Amino acid sequence: MLRWAWQSLISKRVSFWSSALGVASAFILVMFFDAVFRGEAKQIVAYLVQAKPSVWVMQSGVSNMHMSSSFIWDWKADRIRQMSEVERVTPILYLNSVVRTGGKDWFSYIVGLESDSQGRAVARHIAAGRGMPNPGEVVIPDVIGKLTNIGVGDYVFLTDKKLKVVGISEGMFSMANPVFFVAFSDLDDILSSSGTYSYLLVDARPGVDARQLADKIMNEVEKVNALPHDAFVKSDFAMALKMGVEIISIMTIIGSTLAALLVGFTSYTQVMSKRRDLGIAKAVGIPRRAIYGAVIFQSLCITGLGFMMAALFAFLVMPYIHTLLPQITLVVSPAQVGKVGLVAIPVAFLGALIPGYLVMRLDPALVFHN
Amino acid sequence: MFRLAWRQLLLDPARTLLTALAIGAVVTVILVLSGFEQGQYYQLKQAVLDRKADLIALQSGVANLLAARSSLPQLTRIYVEDIPGVKIAHPMTALPVMYQKGGHKMPIYLMVYDTRGGPVKVIDGKAKQKGNDIIIDSSIANKLNVKVGDDFIISDFTFKVSGITEGAAALFTAMAFITYDGMIDLFLESEIAPDISTFPLLSFLLVDLKKGADREQVRRSIENAVPAVDVYTPEALAKNGANLGKEILGPVMGLLVNVGYIIGLLVITLISSAEARHRLRGFGVMKALGFSHAKLVLALGQQIVLLLLIALPIGFLMALVLASIFNTTVPLYIVRITEPIVLGQTLIGTALFAMVGALIPLRMIRRADPMIAFQEA
Repeated sequence: MLRWAWQSLISKRVSFWSSALGVASAFILVMFFDAVFRGEAKQIVAYLVQAKPSVWVMQSGVSNMHMSSSFIWDWKADRIRQMSEVERVTPILYLNSVVRTGGKDWFSYIVGLESDSQGRAVARHIAAGRGMPNPGEVVIPDVIGKLTNIGVGDYVFLTDKKLKVVGISEGMFSMANPVFFVAFSDLDDILSSSGTYSYLLVDARPGVDARQLADKIMNEVEKVNALPHDAFVKSDFAMALKMGVEIISIMTIIGSTLAALLVGFTSYTQVMSKRRDLGIAKAVGIPRRAIYGAVIFQSLCITGLGFMMAALFAFLVMPYIHTLLPQITLVVSPAQVGKVGLVAIPVAFLGALIPGYLVMRLDPALVFHN
Repeated sequence: MFRLAWRQLLLDPARTLLTALAIGAVVTVILVLSGFEQGQYYQLKQAVLDRKADLIALQSGVANLLAARSSLPQLTRIYVEDIPGVKIAHPMTALPVMYQKGGHKMPIYLMVYDTRGGPVKVIDGKAKQKGNDIIIDSSIANKLNVKVGDDFIISDFTFKVSGITEGAAALFTAMAFITYDGMIDLFLESEIAPDISTFPLLSFLLVDLKKGADREQVRRSIENAVPAVDVYTPEALAKNGANLGKEILGPVMGLLVNVGYIIGLLVITLISSAEARHRLRGFGVMKALGFSHAKLVLALGQQIVLLLLIALPIGFLMALVLASIFNTTVPLYIVRITEPIVLGQTLIGTALFAMVGALIPLRMIRRADPMIAFQEA
C-alpha cells in the first residue's frame, strides 16, 4: 500500500509540490517569528558583545542593560580601580530614550563616553568619520544613516540638544534599540547625573578569573552588582528573547493549524480522486490498517517535504533578508527549526484525520459501480 | 454559471468545508498579524489618551510620553498653572524599572501620579491608592502570578499590590501605578538611585483647562511662557506614540503580513488548481457543448469567489476567537482585528490573491479536451 500511496502522490506532481509549498510557507511563518526575536535579541546585545570587558559593574538589583537604568557613585569606580586584579575601569553613562533624526523618532540606547576613555567603550567598527564624539557630537548607526539619509555633518536631536553627526558605526542597529554614542558631558547634562555612572566596564589583568573578580567587587564595594561579561550578555539576550516567547508560541499554534488544514485538504483531494482504487483495495481484502497507513504516509510525505522546504528557506534565504531590509536581522536557530520539525509530526497526523475517516467509511461495493 | 458554481460546491460538502477552512485559516493568519500590529499602535495611543488631560506638557525636545525620558524642573507646575486658561496641572512621573520574581524579569513603566493619570480600569482590588500601594497591569499579574495583597518588590523596596488594572501596557512593557508618597519612599529606602537627582521627580504635567479656554491658544501661551516645556494635545502626543511604534514594528510586521499574503496566494493557487483538475472532465463536456473558454474560466472564478464568501466569515470568526484568547492570556499585547484598516486591507488583499489564484489554472482549462465528453468515465 505504501508504494501505491507514493505513486499516487507523485502522479500529481503539481498538486504534491504546491501542497508542500503551502505547508512550507506556514512553517516559514512560525520560523520567521523566532528568527525575528532571535535576530533582534542578538542585535540588542551587539554593543555589549563588542565592548567585551572582563566584568560589568552596575547598580545593586540591576542585572541588565536592556530596558534598565543603573546609577552608581563615581567613588565606587575609584575603589574598583585600586584593586590589584584590575587593569582598567571605563565608566559609561546610559539612557534609553528617543532620538529624532531625519524626521523620524528612534527608541534608542544612548551611551555617554568619557573623553579620557581612550576609545575603550566606543563602537569598534566605524564606517565613516570617527568613533569618539566630543561635546555636541554624536555617532549614529549605519542603518539609521541609510534609512534617513543622514551622514557625517548632519544633525540629530536628543531631547532639546542638537548633536552633530561625526561618525557612522557598523553593527550597532536593532529595531528596538539602535545605539547612539554621545559625549559623557552631554548625557550627564540630560540626566543631571553629576558624580554618578551607569555601568563600569572592568578589564582584568591577564590571568585573573572574571568570576572571582566579580565576586570580589561584590564583596568589597557596597551595593553594586558585578557580572562576568558572558553572564551579563546571556542575561540581556535571554531578557530580550523572553519578550517574544508568547508571540512565538501563539504563532506556532496558528501556523501549525494552517499547515494541518493544508495537509488535510491535499490528502482529502488525493483520497477522493483515488476512491475507486481504495475501494478495490478494500474489496480484495487489504486490511483497513494498511489503507489508513497509506493515507498517513501521504500526509507525512507532504508535511515532511513542506518542512524540508521551510528549513532550507530558513537556513539559505532568511539570513540574507537583511541585505534587502537592513533594519531587520533574522537569526535562524537550528533548535527552533528542530522544534518545528517535531510539531510537523502531529500536524501530519491531524491532516490525515478527515481523509482517514473517509477511507474507513468507504464502501468496497463502490468498485462494482459504474 | 453562478448556479453551476454553487451546485459544484454543494456536490461535495466535506471538500467545500475543508477548502473554506484552509482559506479561512489564511485569512485568520493575515487578520491576526495585521491586528497584532494595529494593537501595538492602539496601546501606544491609549497610553496617552488614558491620562485624561486637555493638554500634556513634557520636557522641551521630548515628543513621546513613553519610551522617552522627560524631566521637568519642580517649579514648572507653578509656572504652568499661572497661565491664563489653565485650571490645574496634575504632576506625573514615569520611571522605567525592572521587576524580578522567581527568576523571571519583566521591564515595567512605573507611573507615578497624584490627582490624575492613574489606572483607568481597575478590575480587581481597589482603585484608590495610598502609601506603598501599587496597582499593576493584568499582564504582570497573569505572567508572574501576582495577586491583590501580594508583596511587589522593586529595587529592594516592598510595595503592596492593592489593585489590578487592565489595558495599561504599551511597547511590550506593562505599567504599574504608584503615588508620589510611594515614589519618595522607594527613592529613600531602596537602591534605585544613590543620587535622587538622577531620576526625574517630575516628568509630565497633565493640564486641565478652564471652561471655555481655547486649547490651541493656551498651548502656545504655555510654550511661550515656560521654555522648559513642549506642550501637546493628547491626540498629537498619541499620534507621536503610534508613529514611534510604526518605526520600530512597521518593517517587520509588514514583512510578516506579506508572508501571510504569499501563503494566501499559494493556498488559493493550490485550491483552484485542484478544482480545475477535479472538474477537467466537466470542462471538456462543457467545451463540447459549445461553452467558450472565457465562460469556463468565469465558472471557476465564481466558484473561488463563492468559496471566499464562505471562508471570509469563517476566517473572521477564527481570528476573533484567537484575538480573544491572545488578549486574555497575554494582555501585554493587544490584537485588534476589528480596526477598519485591518479589515479593509485583509479584504482587498484576499480579493487580489483570489483573482490571481483563479487565473493560475487557465492553461489547464485551455487544454481540457472536448473529446473527453465522448469517452467513458
